[in-house]
Amino acid sequence: MKFLESDSTRPIELRFQRMKISIVVLICILSFPLSGHSKRASISVTSYLSIVKTAGNNYTIAPGIDVLTIPLKRVGNLFMIDANVDNQIGNLIFDTGAMGLVLNKTYYRNHVIEDSQPSNGINGSISNVSYVNIDRLEFSDLTFKNTRADLTDLGHIENRRKVKILGLLGLSLIKDFEIIIDVNNSQLQLFRIDKKGNRLNTTEKSFQSDITQPIQSTNNIIFLKGMIGGKKLNFCMDTGSETNVISNRSSKEVLKSITITRRSSLQGSGSKKSEVFYGTMNNFVYINKELTGMETIITNLDNLCEAYGVQIDGVLGYDFLNKGSVCINLNKKQLGICFLKTEKK
Amino acid sequence: MKRCYTYIIMLFCLCFFAESSAQYNPRNVCRIEDNKTIFKLDRRWNEKQRKEIRNLFDLDSLLLAAAFRGAREIVIDGSKWQIKNIDKNQVEISKDININPVQQISSKDIYIFDDLINNIANIKTQESAIFGVNNFKESKAFEYKNNEVHLFLRDYPKAKKIYLSGTFNNWNTMKLPMRQTPYGWMVNIKLPPGKYLYKYIIDGKWTDDFNNHNKEDDLNGGMNSVFYCPNYQFVLKGYKEAKGVILAGSFNNWKTNQLKMDKTTDGWALPVYLKNGTYEYKFIVNGNWITDPANKNKHYDGSGNINSVFGIGQSSLFKLNGFTTAKHVFLTGTFNNWTPDELAMERTPQGWQLAYIVAPGNYEYKFIVDGMWITDPVNPYAVGQGNIKNSFFAFKPNHTFELTKYLAAKKVFISGDFVDWSNDEYQMVKRDGRWQFSLYLSPGKHTYKFVVDGNWITDPSNKLWEPNQYGTSNSVVWIGP
Repeated sequence: MKFLESDSTRPIELRFQRMKISIVVLICILSFPLSGHSKRASISVTSYLSIVKTAGNNYTIAPGIDVLTIPLKRVGNLFMIDANVDNQIGNLIFDTGAMGLVLNKTYYRNHVIEDSQPSNGINGSISNVSYVNIDRLEFSDLTFKNTRADLTDLGHIENRRKVKILGLLGLSLIKDFEIIIDVNNSQLQLFRIDKKGNRLNTTEKSFQSDITQPIQSTNNIIFLKGMIGGKKLNFCMDTGSETNVISNRSSKEVLKSITITRRSSLQGSGSKKSEVFYGTMNNFVYINKELTGMETIITNLDNLCEAYGVQIDGVLGYDFLNKGSVCINLNKKQLGICFLKTEKK
Repeated sequence: MKRCYTYIIMLFCLCFFAESSAQYNPRNVCRIEDNKTIFKLDRRWNEKQRKEIRNLFDLDSLLLAAAFRGAREIVIDGSKWQIKNIDKNQVEISKDININPVQQISSKDIYIFDDLINNIANIKTQESAIFGVNNFKESKAFEYKNNEVHLFLRDYPKAKKIYLSGTFNNWNTMKLPMRQTPYGWMVNIKLPPGKYLYKYIIDGKWTDDFNNHNKEDDLNGGMNSVFYCPNYQFVLKGYKEAKGVILAGSFNNWKTNQLKMDKTTDGWALPVYLKNGTYEYKFIVNGNWITDPANKNKHYDGSGNINSVFGIGQSSLFKLNGFTTAKHVFLTGTFNNWTPDELAMERTPQGWQLAYIVAPGNYEYKFIVDGMWITDPVNPYAVGQGNIKNSFFAFKPNHTFELTKYLAAKKVFISGDFVDWSNDEYQMVKRDGRWQFSLYLSPGKHTYKFVVDGNWITDPSNKLWEPNQYGTSNSVVWIGP
């Protein structure tokens, strides 16, 4: 498969239109809960705030805070962050597969919709682009102002998980941090970094990775290379996906290496349904590490490829992320993984 | 010779079963090849095996029947299946994955996949336990006075921030910071009596309370700690020489090994949390069952036993006017599992009445007047399908559904997840220029619609709605914990 380069030349409307898909497989009943937000960021007086302006992101953070440790709330195999989005309190799903901020239509459909205009998709189809402007977004010690967000229906996820989901939080809002995702400890750590990607805080221990690799990213979506059955494949790393996913257009060798254990229908938002196969990945190799027995689903990813503007063969979700902790530094364009010493079964 | 025949038959059977089980392996049934989905089926499978394959792979029974019959192709739900015999036993069915009529995964969607084996992830929200008793390792770890919980976490001098998170604040991670003291960390929260799950977040890391023996699986590989805010103290004075006193009652199914009372200066005591309601109980002193000497209220249980009885919470007064010549009137309903002759009403000059304690919730009831079951003549709220109606009341309702339009309609029902989407059960009543129905709803999200003279409509006065599987929309309401 040919890896397509960044689509940064495309109009911004189109890039925002292509948001995200996450596959949520309800395989485990897990605990953890609901809503809330941090008001601490909002109590600071202006003079105490340091305003950080970067390309597209305009956030404030209390001075002296260079490291944020955010407890993630695990709901099923999804991970949520308490947030306040224009005075609505609830959860944002931490979703590295989402492009920016995507909000639940249930709560934000009445916000002003800007620049609703048709644009051409890469397959020639015409679709409307609609997005909202959020005055204030708060989570942990961060406050964002005038953030643009896309809209989607997330009511069906709320109904399954019994939590209030305001939306999806992608990496682009926190791209100016070194990001450590530790799903086994339900923890997200953000270290402020300079333009070169070096941490401002030098007292905390640096991330000890077993494997470090340069990353390809498009619109702050992380793409990783993996091998199945000797074939090199391109994966999207997605914390918003409860299972791995393999494209049903993959080569014969790839599909042959997967033991298909059942077939079912995915229930999407509204009345949408889709056919998926459920199986076990037998010969997956990441760099030099062989990971066996990961669960996966096989389904059509054409629309997802179109959304990302990148040819992908699959998605690495929770089943991959729980093998250890992941450190992402988009300024250094580098990704590190520290595998658990005793591999999870 | 006879024995020889037996052996041959046994061997034959063994071979048959061995062969039958050898070709049945669900992991070898399905494959994807050249943009086709292919299933390899075997005619030797028994009914149970065929059913399992049908369920695992979501295959239509008509499709399987056609395949085993040897048909060449069949169209099911718009998909064309090719059928190919491999040999006399094996048959392959296939279809093109690209002509699948169902939707693809598309951008801006999160998709949910319902697993066959279980299950929908349940979030631990506020639980309505019937009763509970705390079990902390040290008494300072938990105190409950004047509706305020005081939690103390010993040590952690080097921690920077510790938060308390639990069902009482929807597991918010930032709302309840703890105060650091020289001995540990403390936090106070105002809470009504009840059962609560919690964890500490120590510098961003979720931790259960090591000082608390009461824990529950968080279904996530860890544990949630549990505390109860008590609302009642059982007391038995005297019996100081007793080795131990056990409390048993209707709230714990009369278990004799669960609730050990604590020794006090003048007897025995046990603080408990009990959900509002009416309960029977007894003490077991050195193995002997006794009623509570300090409680005059006693009930015969119908089997010759006498139990002490008491109620917790506010009582509701049920009244039935008239029927003054009746000999007996009983109250019955969902609150007592429709037991007909348990709750005898008292005669008054105007008719009959009974004060009865129930927990906040939705209840159906009827009166039984000399054996005749009647609905409450003064209660306009009657629920149930068809001609079978019961009187309805919500004790301490936390939400009122209102519809200010369609006032000329003949019948309006409220429907939603809380009534299994029945469209003719909860009939709204027209009052003060609007249709109304009050309910006690469990904490969390609820979706609903009105049914106006048979037509489903979303709530015109509620901005929150979401699409449903029928291509229309449901209104959304959130009830706080």
